[in-house]
Amino acid sequence: MAWLHTWFGLVLGYVLIVVFFFGSLSVFDREIDRWALPETRFAPQPMPSFDRMLSPIFKQMKPEPAELEAARARVGGSLPAELAVMNWAVYTTHRDPVLAMYAEFAVPNNPNDPDDHVHGHVTIDPRNGRLLGDDQLKVGSEFFYPMHISLHVTWKDLGYWIVGLAALAMLAALVSGLVIHRRIFREFFTLRPRKHVQRSTLDLHNLTGVVALPFHFFFALTGLTIFAGIYLPVSETMLKPQAQAAAVHEAKAKGLPFKPAGVAAPLASVDAMVLEAKRRWAARGMAGEVGYLYVNHVGDRNSYVSLYRAGSDRVTLVGQPIHFEGTTGRVLYEEPPSSAVASVNDFLTGLHLQHFEHWLLRWFYVFGGLTGCVCIATGFIFFVEKRKRQHAQAGVSGARWVDAFAVTSVTGMLIATLAMLIANRVLPIELAQRGDWQKASFWGVWLLTFAHAAARGAMPRMTRLSPAWREQCLAVAALAPAAVILNWVTTGDHLLKTLAEGYWPVAGLDLALLAVGSIAAGAAVRLRRGERAVAAPAASLDEAAAAGAGTADREAARA
Amino acid sequence: MRSLLRACALLCSLGGLAWLALAMEVHWHQVRGGRASLAPHKARLLRVMGALALSGSLVLCLRADHASMAVLVWVMSLAVSSVGVAFALAWRPRSLSWLVGWVR
Repeated sequence: MAWLHTWFGLVLGYVLIVVFFFGSLSVFDREIDRWALPETRFAPQPMPSFDRMLSPIFKQMKPEPAELEAARARVGGSLPAELAVMNWAVYTTHRDPVLAMYAEFAVPNNPNDPDDHVHGHVTIDPRNGRLLGDDQLKVGSEFFYPMHISLHVTWKDLGYWIVGLAALAMLAALVSGLVIHRRIFREFFTLRPRKHVQRSTLDLHNLTGVVALPFHFFFALTGLTIFAGIYLPVSETMLKPQAQAAAVHEAKAKGLPFKPAGVAAPLASVDAMVLEAKRRWAARGMAGEVGYLYVNHVGDRNSYVSLYRAGSDRVTLVGQPIHFEGTTGRVLYEEPPSSAVASVNDFLTGLHLQHFEHWLLRWFYVFGGLTGCVCIATGFIFFVEKRKRQHAQAGVSGARWVDAFAVTSVTGMLIATLAMLIANRVLPIELAQRGDWQKASFWGVWLLTFAHAAARGAMPRMTRLSPAWREQCLAVAALAPAAVILNWVTTGDHLLKTLAEGYWPVAGLDLALLAVGSIAAGAAVRLRRGERAVAAPAASLDEAAAAGAGTADREAARA
Repeated sequence: MRSLLRACALLCSLGGLAWLALAMEVHWHQVRGGRASLAPHKARLLRVMGALALSGSLVLCLRADHASMAVLVWVMSLAVSSVGVAFALAWRPRSLSWLVGWVR
């Protein structure tokens, strides 16, 4: 058990801390988008009129050029100038001022895949239908969030697999950790910050691991179930015929056409369908807005429109779908309340993806994610503290490298994130590929923090923490307020203004940045004090520490 | 109104967990200092009060939100409160003494 906990925790801990940290940021991904894209700083908007605004925009949408290029290779050269539209979709939540629109276009003549298709997407300002620039990187939802789910490792979906493996390891680490810890209830509230580093680190590791246990357990578990389709793609491999048959059967049972008829026909008023859906939801005692709108078989006699209710007052994401016949606007099928099994699945998915409107619970989630980060970081420090002396004596550099990676994945990750926010504010607006430069500054700075941690960790006796911890804390303390000031200088939205207006997406991130800066400054001061204390009577302290470590070592030997 | 209910729920879970902690000898000493010992019947009383406060917190959560959401809020408020109590015991143990001021 101890072996499992130590080594799985160490190796996959580096992945897990990234997943936890960017997951915590993803709780407020839309708000980070507002901070990073000042022209989108306005109030969230309801779904605009489909007939008057969305429909003309959908008709002009084009497939992504990069996807077209890839599709051309798949079919062996030529594609028609205009690809036929298969379906349109719009999705919005109570936190979205801008609206994302999606379309799928059929790719004909692919011998290997009759359902081959490419995607197109645009983001609009729903107040006036203006398109937002394609090159605008939504830092929160298009960089931090993908980092959380796939680490931006897109090659063969490897990122999803690494994150999934880490989630499995997380479950194993939680269970084995409980077994090792044993005194879960007796030491539930135990934290002894004045004891030596190894003891207080282990206390904090146990505290953060135990109190947020339900959160960590359910998030690792639901993370796995959400992507079960990627990990076990049986419906696209072994059971493909059965899955296809089930889809056909389900569509038939609901009266929804599975295939287009091949006969062109116009779409009836979707706005009228929206009114009817809202009336039906209200009649069921759950009045609400449309969260997801989907038009299938666009422009065909078999077209249908599905309207899903926005789940801002429930844990479940979107639901209570009502399907309309596209050509007439007649209701084809109103889905009944879901079965018990489906409700549990919806609850678990919604619990993780959290599109509900509940700011307190959102902050609780951030807290849960950050306790995960603290738990992993203290695990690293404990690992190093326990071994550095032996490793230094034996002339092995293991603990040193673990420490360098720990610095990189804790403070280094913070610095890289801050660097990205700063790059977002200082790079000139007219710069080509501005989004790519922001990404490059993230990765580049992260690499630099590793170089720094590795260089500064080269200490002969490893008697104290690597000075890289303190130096990178100082960098965080400088960069975090710098991002706040740069936001003020470049947009004029300083804290007094955003607070007075109650514009929380920007005020909240600014306040969080200031909090992070002050915590890092405090940590740097304490680390400095620790270094001085060690530097003065190094030899005598070594003895004292060895004596004091005796009790903890006995316990630690099990860990 | 809902915010008020949620705030009360959070306070209840903080108080409840503090009482559960204080029912333990070691934390009782941290808060009361010195050798003030904790009689077993008093410890039991503190535990009952803690459990009642936590149940109260759950009821308040259920009044504030849809049941599916309320459960999540309650579980997370327990996590936040536990860290709060542990930090208070570590750095400012006396700040919890008013919770047990009536125990002689």
